[in-house]
Amino acid sequence: MTTRIESIDCDKSVYDAIEKMVDRRIRSLVVVFPGNQTDYGVITARDVVFKALAKGIDLKKTKASDIASRPLFCVDKNTELDDMAKSMQEADVARIFVCDGEKIIGVVSLIDLMTATLVRRARGNDLS
Amino acid sequence: MIFLRKALSQGKRERQVVENMKRHIRLLCAACGSFESALEQNNRSLMHHVIDLEREGDSIRREIISKVHDGAFLPYIRPDLCKFVEVVDGVFDILEDTALFYLDATLPENIQDECVRVALLNQRICEMLLLTFEAMLKGEDLSEKTLAVRIYEKKVDDIKFGLFREVRQTPIDSFWEGKVLADFLSGLTTISDIIEDASDSLQIIHVAMK
Repeated sequence: MTTRIESIDCDKSVYDAIEKMVDRRIRSLVVVFPGNQTDYGVITARDVVFKALAKGIDLKKTKASDIASRPLFCVDKNTELDDMAKSMQEADVARIFVCDGEKIIGVVSLIDLMTATLVRRARGNDLS
Repeated sequence: MIFLRKALSQGKRERQVVENMKRHIRLLCAACGSFESALEQNNRSLMHHVIDLEREGDSIRREIISKVHDGAFLPYIRPDLCKFVEVVDGVFDILEDTALFYLDATLPENIQDECVRVALLNQRICEMLLLTFEAMLKGEDLSEKTLAVRIYEKKVDDIKFGLFREVRQTPIDSFWEGKVLADFLSGLTTISDIIEDASDSLQIIHVAMK
């Protein structure tokens, strides 16, 4: 799980989001809607490519919130890896956010699930 | 593969060397564990314990090397065994230096959690090295274990960039304060690299003894 969650305000532009993703070498950003601490969206590289770049929209005039997916797909922090994988498969998403109550504490990507499973196998099912 | 098991189990000297090598890696796991706990709890005396464990590791290394040069194992495999032991000893050295830097440094609060995460990953990668070594003794395939080592190392690498980026934003009062902090972070994030080298050495021994 990646615990460093990067976010962007909903009124920032798609260009700002791209800049942040490139600078931080990340593939998704949590979109924060002011005034509501529990309402989040997510903008991914996939959203940027398919919803913005491919359509030729003005990246600086379009808000990040316009192409963000909402609500955020979240699981509880105690969710088992297998259940997480099932949820991701059912929702057809490449990353899932991990929440402690209503607070986002991390994000798990498909590559995280893959490596965690490989490590678990190597440790003889003793999950680290 | 039978040859490997035979080569590692026959003879008193060989058995002693293998037992000491296992003890050496176990001790490294304990040192990494103490380091992580000391960092998490900001426990300076536990950090001093890491330095004591390094000394104990040194004496085990000397025992292994002298037994190997005393005629344990066939000559062609001795350099690879010694190299592995020296690489593990190199991890002890870096761990000790990093513990000493920690005792001199003031760790900024904003990087504390990430440093603990790296220390925990160092502990995990070390445990995986032990599992790899044990798998080698049993003549098992090492590929999944060495892959797990590489996965852990990559995780540390991923944290490393963010950590250095974060620390660059931190105001530093003097050159030496910055130097000690930079050396601490460099040591902390290098340990996994060296353990990965140790795991590669095991793979070489494994292949050489087939």
